[in-house]
Amino acid sequence: MEFLSQINIALRGPTGQPQSAADTIARLADRLSPSTLLADRRAAVLALKGLARDWKADVGQLTLHGLLDVLQNDAEVDADIGKAVLETLILLCEVDENAPAAARDLGYKHTDVVLADDKVAQKLFALMADHSFYLRYSALQFLSILLQNRRQAVQGYFLKAPVGVTSLIALLEDKREIIRNEAIFIIQSIISQSPEIQKIMAFEGAFEKLFNIIVGEQGLEGGVVVQDALTCIDGLLRFNQSNQSYFRGSSLPPVLLSLVGFPPNLPFNTPTPQQFALQLWDVPQKRANATLVVGVVGLLARHAGPPDGLSIACTRCLTEFGLASNAPTNIKTQALHLVPSNVSGLPLAEMVVTPYVPVPDTNGEEWDRLEPASALDALVELILHGEYNNIIDGERRTKDGMELRGAALGIFQNFVQKEEISEAIVQAMVAQPGSQAPATPLLYALTTVPVSPLNVPSVTSTHFATLLFAHLLRASPRAKATARSIVPQAGSPGGGGGAFFVPADGGPPPPGNDDDPADADGPQTLLQILSEHLSLAFLARARADLPDKEAREWDRLCVGYLCLLIQWLWEDPAAVREFLEAGALGVLVEPINQTVEEDAMIPGLCAFLLGVIYEFNREPGEVTRAVIHPILTRLGIDMLSGRLIHLRDDDRFRAVGPDSFVVASPGAHVPPHLPQGAPAAGLPKPEIEEGEIWFDWAFVDFWKSNYYTIQKGVAVDPNALSSAAGQESAMLIASLRDVIRNQAAEIEKLQTQLKAVSAASGETDALRAQVASLTEQLETSDQKKKDVEKEQDDLLVLLDELNSKRRKDKERMRQANMEVSEDEEEEDDEDEDEE
Amino acid sequence: MAGVAWHYVLKFIITGDAAVGKSSLLVRLTDQRFLANPDPTLGVEFGSKLITIPEENKVVKLQCWDTAGTESFRSITRSYYRGAAGCLLVYDVTSRQSFINVRSWLQDVREHADPHLTCILVGNKIDLCADDAGAAAAAGGGPRRKREVSTDEGELWAKEEGLLFVEASAKSGENVEEAFECATRNILEKVRRGVFDDDRSPGVKLSKPSSGVALNEDIRGSCC
Repeated sequence: MEFLSQINIALRGPTGQPQSAADTIARLADRLSPSTLLADRRAAVLALKGLARDWKADVGQLTLHGLLDVLQNDAEVDADIGKAVLETLILLCEVDENAPAAARDLGYKHTDVVLADDKVAQKLFALMADHSFYLRYSALQFLSILLQNRRQAVQGYFLKAPVGVTSLIALLEDKREIIRNEAIFIIQSIISQSPEIQKIMAFEGAFEKLFNIIVGEQGLEGGVVVQDALTCIDGLLRFNQSNQSYFRGSSLPPVLLSLVGFPPNLPFNTPTPQQFALQLWDVPQKRANATLVVGVVGLLARHAGPPDGLSIACTRCLTEFGLASNAPTNIKTQALHLVPSNVSGLPLAEMVVTPYVPVPDTNGEEWDRLEPASALDALVELILHGEYNNIIDGERRTKDGMELRGAALGIFQNFVQKEEISEAIVQAMVAQPGSQAPATPLLYALTTVPVSPLNVPSVTSTHFATLLFAHLLRASPRAKATARSIVPQAGSPGGGGGAFFVPADGGPPPPGNDDDPADADGPQTLLQILSEHLSLAFLARARADLPDKEAREWDRLCVGYLCLLIQWLWEDPAAVREFLEAGALGVLVEPINQTVEEDAMIPGLCAFLLGVIYEFNREPGEVTRAVIHPILTRLGIDMLSGRLIHLRDDDRFRAVGPDSFVVASPGAHVPPHLPQGAPAAGLPKPEIEEGEIWFDWAFVDFWKSNYYTIQKGVAVDPNALSSAAGQESAMLIASLRDVIRNQAAEIEKLQTQLKAVSAASGETDALRAQVASLTEQLETSDQKKKDVEKEQDDLLVLLDELNSKRRKDKERMRQANMEVSEDEEEEDDEDEDEE
Repeated sequence: MAGVAWHYVLKFIITGDAAVGKSSLLVRLTDQRFLANPDPTLGVEFGSKLITIPEENKVVKLQCWDTAGTESFRSITRSYYRGAAGCLLVYDVTSRQSFINVRSWLQDVREHADPHLTCILVGNKIDLCADDAGAAAAAGGGPRRKREVSTDEGELWAKEEGLLFVEASAKSGENVEEAFECATRNILEKVRRGVFDDDRSPGVKLSKPSSGVALNEDIRGSCC
C-alpha cells in the first residue's frame, strides 16, 4: 500500500493542495531517471501503473520513454520493478476493440513508440528466458499485446534476434503451464503469415515440442491448450511447402493420425477399429480439437506428385471419418471436403467401409454396425439418403446434414471426372439383353414418382439423384448415349406409377397419365420417365390450394429435373429428339408464359431448356426446328432472353459458390411473432438450423459458360446451321479446317506417289512393248522354222518318191541288163548330192 | 505407411555465397537430379534424405536446411546455425570471390554455431572446368569456365581452418553424396567419442529404429 500513499502525496503535493494529474505525472516521470534510488524508481513506476488506466494519454506522453529506460536498465536487476514496468506498458499499449477510435489510436501510438527500434523487442526476447516467473510472464504478455497491435514489426525484430526463437521454443517445455500456454499463444501469432519464422520454428523443433504437449495433455481429450497447440501446428504447415516436407519426413504424421484413433499402419483391406469409428463426442472441446486434426490430415492428404503411403493413409482416414464413423456432422463434412480432388489415390469402388447407425432412442449411446459396403456405395447412399439414413433428422433438412451430403457429392463429382468411370457407372444401369435392368439406388431415387403430398426426404433424394446423374453425363457424350438406352425396371416406381397421381383439385390430368400410351408400348426409357415426372410436377405446382411449403418442394423437384435435362440434352441431338417425341414442348412453354409469376427461377430454367432443345434439335424428326421457331417468336425472343437473365439474378442461384451450395431455409417454420426460444412453439429442436439446396456449382458454372450461346441461339433462323457463331462453332470450324488441311496435305502426298508410280508404269510399258516385239519376232522365227521343216518334209517326201522311182528305174534297167550301181552307195551319193 | 527407421537424425545447413550451387547440391542429394535454372532461394528450403553408413552399420536421416546466399537474408539464415550438427560451406571453384567470401561465412558459423559442429568445405561446379581434371567428357559441352581456385589451395585452407574438404559437382553428381557422407562420418565419430553426450547440441538426435508411432523414443532422444 506504500504506492497508494505515494500517489496521495504526489496528487496533493507537499502543501496538501490538489494538483492536476499532468503535474503529478510529470513529477513521477522525473523520478524515473536513473539518478534516483531504485526504490524511488520502483515507487514511481507503481504509481504510474495506478494512473495509467485513467490518464493513459498523459502517462504515455510524459513517461513512456522513461518507462522504457527502466525496462532496459532495471528489469533484470529487480524483478519487482521489471514486473511493474511491464504491466504499466501493457496498460499503455493495450487496445480495446470496443473503445472509441481515439482511445484505440492511443494504444497504437504507444506501441509504435515502443517498437520504434529493436531495443525493447530484443529486451523482451531476452526476458523470456529470465528466471523470475512474473518477469517472464509479463514479458510474454507484453509481447503478445505488441504482436496484436503491430505484428509485422515484431516479426521483423524477432527474425533478427539472436536467441529469440530458441528461447521461445524452450518455453514450450516450461514446467509452469501458464508460461507454456502463453508461449503457445505467442507462437500462434508470431508465425502468422511469416514463412521464414515458420521455417525457423520447424528447424528449432517446434513440431516435436508441440506434439509432446498434445500427447502429454491426453490428445484430443485435452483442453484448450491442445487446441492452441494444434492451431500452431496448422499455422506452421499451411501455405509452407518447406515445413510440410519436413513434417512429412518426420515421425510425427503417425502420431497425428493416432490422435484421432486412426491406426497409421492399417493395411488397406483391414477395417478400421471400432475405437476409431465410434467415439464419444459429447465434449465440445474435443470437437474443436478434432476439427484441427482433421484440417492438418487434409493438408497431408494433398500431395503434389504421385500419392505416397502417407497421403493415401490420410485420404483414407478422411474418407472413413466421413462415411463410417459417428463423428459430429460438421467434422464429417470437413473431412469429406478435404478429400483431395484427385481421388485416384484411393480406389473408392474397391475400398470397403463399415458404416454405423445409431440405435433409435438410445440417444447416440448404442450403435448398430452395418454390413461392410464399398466406399462408393456408401458415398452414394449418404448423398441420396443423408447421414444415418435420416434416422435422426427425419423430416427436417438440417443445414449440417445438407452440407455433409453436399461434401459427399463433391467427392462423387471428382470421382466420375474420368470419362471411363462415368461411362462404366452409366453402363451398369443398362439392362443386359435377356435380363431386367438393375435397380441401382441412384436410378431408384431418380425415378421415384412424385406423389402429392410430397415428403421431404423423398424430394431431397430425388433432387440429389438428379445432381448425381448430371455429374455422370455432363462431360461425356458417350455416357449420354448410353444413358438414352436405360430402361428402368417396370417394377420400379418409374413404370406405371403415374397412375397413383390424382390431382386433388380435379384439374387436367397430366398427359402421360390418362391414356398411358407409353406404358402400353412397353417400359419407358429414363428420359421419357423424367419428362413425364417433370410435367407431373408442373401440374401439381399449378394447383391453387397448395400450401406454400409444399409448393416450394414441387419447385425444387422441377429445378432438379430441369437442371438435369438441360445438361443432358446439351449437345445431344438424339436425346433432344427423344425428349420432343415424349411431348415435352407443351410442358415447357406454359411455365415460360406465366405472367403472374413473381418467381423467375423455373421460367428461366424452362426458357433455357427450350433454347437448348432448339439449338440442338439437329436430327430429322416430327418436331423440327421449323416447327419450334414460330413458338419461340410467339413467346417473344426478348422475353426468353429476359427470363434467362432474371434467373442469373435470382438469390438462390447467386448464393451458390464453388464450396457452398446449401442456403438457409427461409424461416417459414418459426413464425416471426413468437418470442425467441419460446418452448411453446412446439418445434422439436428449434436451435437446429435448417438448410436447403437448389443448384450446385457445377450447374451454375455450366449455365454461366453456356447461357450466352443459348440466348443468341434462340434468335437464329431455323435453317441456320449452327448456333450464333459461338466459340464452339469457331472451334469446330477451326478443327474442320485442320482436317481439311491435313487431307489436302495427304492428297498432295498421294499425288506425288501416284506420279512416281506412273513413272514406273511407263517403264513397264516399254518393257511390255519389248516383250511384244520379242514375242512377235519369236513367232515369226517359229513360223519360219515351221516353214523350213515343212519344206524339208516335202523334200524328204520328194526324195522318197525319187528313190522309189529310181529303184524302179534301176529294176527296170537291171531287167534290161543295163549296168547298175550298188544301191547303198548310190543312195549315199545321191544324199550327198542332194545336200 | 512405410516404417520410419533410422538411428540418428542429423541437422545440416548449407551456406555460402549466392549462386554457388547450394540448392542444386541439395536437390542432387535428395532427388538425384540437376536443378538446371534455379531461382534464388528465399530464406531457407528444407530437404531430407536417408543415408547408410555401412562401416558403422547405421542409418542416418539427414535433415538439410538450404539457406539463401543473398545478403538480405543473412540475418535470417544465422538463426539456423545454432541448432545444426553439420555445415556444408560451399564455394564455386570458378569464382575466386566466392572462395574469398567463404571466410566470412565461416566466421558467421564460428560465431553462432555449436562449437562441435562439423564443417565441410565444398568446392562446387568442377564440371565446368573438367578439362584440367583430365575428364573433359564429363563436362558435356556446357559453357566452359576457367577454374579460379585450385584444388590444392582449397585443401590447404581447409586444413588450416580444420575443415573437411571435397570438390564436387551438383550437375554431374560427382562427390555430392560423398560430401554429406564424409561429414556424417565425422559427426558419428564425434558421437562415439562422446562429444555430444551432454546432448547440448539439438542437431543430433538419437532415434531407435522403429516403425509407426515413434514419438516416445523420439522424444526421449531429444529432450532428456
